[in-house]
Amino acid sequence: MTEPSLPGAVRVQWPYRPRFARVNGWRMHYVDEGTGDPVVLLHGNPTWGFLYRDFVGPLTRTGHRVIIPDMIGFGLSEKPMRDDAHSLDGHIANLTALLRGLDLTRITLVCHDWGGPTGLGFALSNLTRVRALMLMSTWAWPLPPAEFHTRLFPWRMMHAPLVGPYLMGRHNVLVTRGIYLSVVDRARFRERAQAAYEAVLPDPASRLLTWTWPRWIPLDKDARAVERFAWLEQQLAACTLPALLVWGREDDVFDPTTFAARFKQLLPHAEGPHLVTGRHFLQEDSGPEIAALIVDFLKRLAQTEARA
Amino acid sequence: MSDVKAIAPPPLEGLRRAFVLAEDRIGHYPEFRRFFSTTFDLDRDGLKQPGYVAAPSGTCYALVFIGRSGEPFPAGVEIHALVPALEPLNENTVDRDLWAILKWMVAGVGGDWTVRDVEETGRLYRVPAAM
Repeated sequence: MTEPSLPGAVRVQWPYRPRFARVNGWRMHYVDEGTGDPVVLLHGNPTWGFLYRDFVGPLTRTGHRVIIPDMIGFGLSEKPMRDDAHSLDGHIANLTALLRGLDLTRITLVCHDWGGPTGLGFALSNLTRVRALMLMSTWAWPLPPAEFHTRLFPWRMMHAPLVGPYLMGRHNVLVTRGIYLSVVDRARFRERAQAAYEAVLPDPASRLLTWTWPRWIPLDKDARAVERFAWLEQQLAACTLPALLVWGREDDVFDPTTFAARFKQLLPHAEGPHLVTGRHFLQEDSGPEIAALIVDFLKRLAQTEARA
Repeated sequence: MSDVKAIAPPPLEGLRRAFVLAEDRIGHYPEFRRFFSTTFDLDRDGLKQPGYVAAPSGTCYALVFIGRSGEPFPAGVEIHALVPALEPLNENTVDRDLWAILKWMVAGVGGDWTVRDVEETGRLYRVPAAM
């Protein structure tokens, strides 16, 4: 799918030139706007770069180069049709291929949901390319999982064998209802954004990653990604990169009391957590406010660097 | 009482197998793999033939099990509707049959997995067959 496939109302909000790169054997879509030190904004399940539409203007106007990739399997990127095409390590490698291919340095990584484990996987294995981290509604350790992710109703049932392909594939429920239920201003979301997320996952086969990612969330010590998450946690605890934490006050997936607090424990030097209006998809409710927090954070970081 | 039943292989003359749903990781929760293995005696029969079920519409479905090297069998499953060879599918009928098959599966898996939870999940996400 290319940009002209997007509905007109979506293109108005997302007027950026589509760019494509071969990464790790796949075709990845990204936008690349502005000039300056790069800010790379990473989405998760089941969104795409559109989630950051309110961030591009404020960041480019204040002297930053904004790069927003669509994860392989989402947005305008290639969508593999087989479950085995997706793994946490593979997605980290996809991102690594893009950012090394662009030869980016002094990167500020903005991470949300699965953009957290993938973005941090890149950052912690490419420290010399990274300037700072910004984290929101995500996680980076093996256990314990979010209480929400342990519940049979609705989370584990929604992606159970055959139930996942039926609900999330045939009926696209994570997009048609899941995001909607995880924002604060649902009417505004439905009016302005819902169509953008539905447009890029038009067919059941294109939605594979929506039920594959939930199955990669470790629920016990035997889960597939436990070792990678343990490595993330270990590396993060030793990480001294400047960091900013922003969380949705109403986040009931990665609740701030548990998850923002644990990031603060791992990164005690991090700023925040700043609490904004928002559930899990906090960018939908507080995009301009979060963008302003990043701009302010980067301005102060530049001043600190200049003094040093 | 489920209105889906495992059946003996039906006559296939004049029918085609129409692919309708696939699952690459039937053992993501291992109790689901055990359910299919027990229901269709897969430890004994393996890939010899599909499992067959009759759904509420009267349509029969073939459950085609898939093996993957290094993983317990079955690794995955495809569901195919057995329909008149040259006729298009009735999507609504297939959708309601699939929903019934899922509830039959969940009832058979048992334990923590309940038909009530799958029905509530369907209603929460406003799936037509669950409303």
